Amino acid sequence: MSHTPIEHPEYSMDVVKKFAIMTVVWGIVGMFVGVFIAAELVWPDINMHLQWFHFGRLRPLHTNAVIFAFGGCALMATSLYIVQRTCYARLISDKLASFVFWGWQLVILAAAITLPLGYTSSKEYAELEWPIDILITIVWVAYAVLFFGTIAKRKTSHIYVANWFFGAFIVTVAVLHLVNSAALPAGMWKSYSMYAGATDAMIQWWYGHNAVGFFLTAGFLGMMYYFVPKQAERPVYSYRLSIVHFWALVGVYIWAGPHHLHYTALPDWTQSLGMIMSLILLAPSWGGMINGMMTLSGAWHKLRTDPILRFLVVSLSFYGMSTFEGPMMSIKTVNAMSHYTDWTIGHVHSGALGWVAMISIGSIYHLIPVLFNKEKMYSTNLINVHFWMSTIGTVLYIAALWVNGILQGLMWRAYNADGTLTYSFVESVEASYPGYIVRFIGGAIFLGGMFLMAYNVWKTIQSEDKASDTLVVKGAA
Amino acid sequence: MFKYLISILLSPKSTWEKVANMPKDSADLGMIYSVLLALIPSAAFYYGTTQVGWTVGDGLPTKLTAESANRMIPLFYFAQVGAIFGIGWFIHWMSETYGADSSLTKGIRIAGLTATPLFLSGAIGVLPQLMVNFTVGIIAVSWSTYLLYIGIPRVMRIPEERGFLFSSAIIAVCLVAIVVILGASVILWDMGAAPAFTD
Repeated sequence: MSHTPIEHPEYSMDVVKKFAIMTVVWGIVGMFVGVFIAAELVWPDINMHLQWFHFGRLRPLHTNAVIFAFGGCALMATSLYIVQRTCYARLISDKLASFVFWGWQLVILAAAITLPLGYTSSKEYAELEWPIDILITIVWVAYAVLFFGTIAKRKTSHIYVANWFFGAFIVTVAVLHLVNSAALPAGMWKSYSMYAGATDAMIQWWYGHNAVGFFLTAGFLGMMYYFVPKQAERPVYSYRLSIVHFWALVGVYIWAGPHHLHYTALPDWTQSLGMIMSLILLAPSWGGMINGMMTLSGAWHKLRTDPILRFLVVSLSFYGMSTFEGPMMSIKTVNAMSHYTDWTIGHVHSGALGWVAMISIGSIYHLIPVLFNKEKMYSTNLINVHFWMSTIGTVLYIAALWVNGILQGLMWRAYNADGTLTYSFVESVEASYPGYIVRFIGGAIFLGGMFLMAYNVWKTIQSEDKASDTLVVKGAA
Repeated sequence: MFKYLISILLSPKSTWEKVANMPKDSADLGMIYSVLLALIPSAAFYYGTTQVGWTVGDGLPTKLTAESANRMIPLFYFAQVGAIFGIGWFIHWMSETYGADSSLTKGIRIAGLTATPLFLSGAIGVLPQLMVNFTVGIIAVSWSTYLLYIGIPRVMRIPEERGFLFSSAIIAVCLVAIVVILGASVILWDMGAAPAFTD
């Protein structure tokens, strides 16, 4: 880690600023839709009996908004920032960067319009219809050119590990998107998948699980490997472990998809393979978590004053917890009970709220003052309140859905001595009601924290103070 | 150790100070604190699930058969005690990282004492209505979490901010322990310890 100021080109930060701001905006929008549909499960009539507000149409809007709009903007902001800082190179083209930004916003807007109207390919996390898929492909290729082009003209000999994770995320998501979205159009807003039956299901979950693995994990690990050492002002605990972590993660994740299709028409051996690969996946996941934790573990003295660091610590804890839970849920015996219950949704959110959102929030809090040339965020207290709201919201959310999941799984498989089912389905819905209320409260608290963040970001940008000393470029980590 | 049962609830801070002063290796009653307290939820839920039962919607009360409860309640008991000992072991194991002086006994003592609100609230098992149990459970979990966060810096004699991180690491271990219990339960249900209900 070198502290010597070196000559650096004027970095291209305009696009990073835009993406960072939109991360907060789309975070609020996406989470608001999430809280709204959580409320629909408690008070079904609040959809006002309008088809556009039906749970079935808003649910994909929620997932697309939080994954691709909130998560996507966070990833693009951080990757385009990190690649410049760690390669000592300016982005290859400001025009291209601008195209990536506006193109991605257009994709999000198109999703926000078409999904409530009911245009859907019905593929989970890939619901957007073919014209939007083509737009995504064009924007994504531009993003890849921008990112890898900048790496190609780097002034350092080494490519920092965070860039490896971002690179894997960009390449793999491109491949996943192209294969899974292959479809025959039947009109402007209707298409049929290229694949049939069990093959289609397998392609879908190969895509679906790797959307988690590469979009929601690899990219965010890139964030972790830059912002955790940066915020803790310590080098990565083990750089060697980070390289092992990278290859093990990308090598194993890609095989885990079949665990979404246990006990379906998918061949049995494929299911078992998916389960075994999911279990192996625990090792690289925890390797990464330990690396992040150990990097933080010497920065005790900073924790009292630095809520950003708290966000990073807790996000790593949730990463560890959910990457333990995931392999366990992929065991066929466990899956036989947990699948199709709220436990799955709880698991997703321990990853999505606890890991993805918290590490993004921490990173954005780190970035905003740097980008807008301020000393620090407007209010450290508000960050602290936000931290507690996020943590409590997440814990309430996942605890409620654990209870609901076990309850539903048990009720669905309960039968009487004479072989009849003990409960009807609707009885399990009724029993889930308290859990839905708690889930709604937890989600609302988390969303409330995002509003504090927006206010804090706004005040920071508006404030008059400038960072006192000129920017000193530090080494990669 | 049992003299702390009430004082940990009423004056937790001074109680943790006293626990910090206990000799760290004495194999005293602290070890069997959870062994005895775990009997409360077990007995309560045995009675509640076999004798009182619960209702879903406006149906008749569902109960467990005595035979099924005989298999499940001991497992429930061992899950509680096992979790306390396991988490206690982890507390001891992690203490070095956080610059604290600890022993296995001390770890188990801390884990057991922290779980006091959970053990006591387990008495609500005599009334196994979901909403009631859920509410009481959330209060107990919050209370135990509070005890942990104020307890670790005091009992381990480390600075607040390091204690905060240590406590958070313990919470992460607890979450993993919950998931282990969830998974183990499901696997055990599949191996014959599934609940059976009275008709």
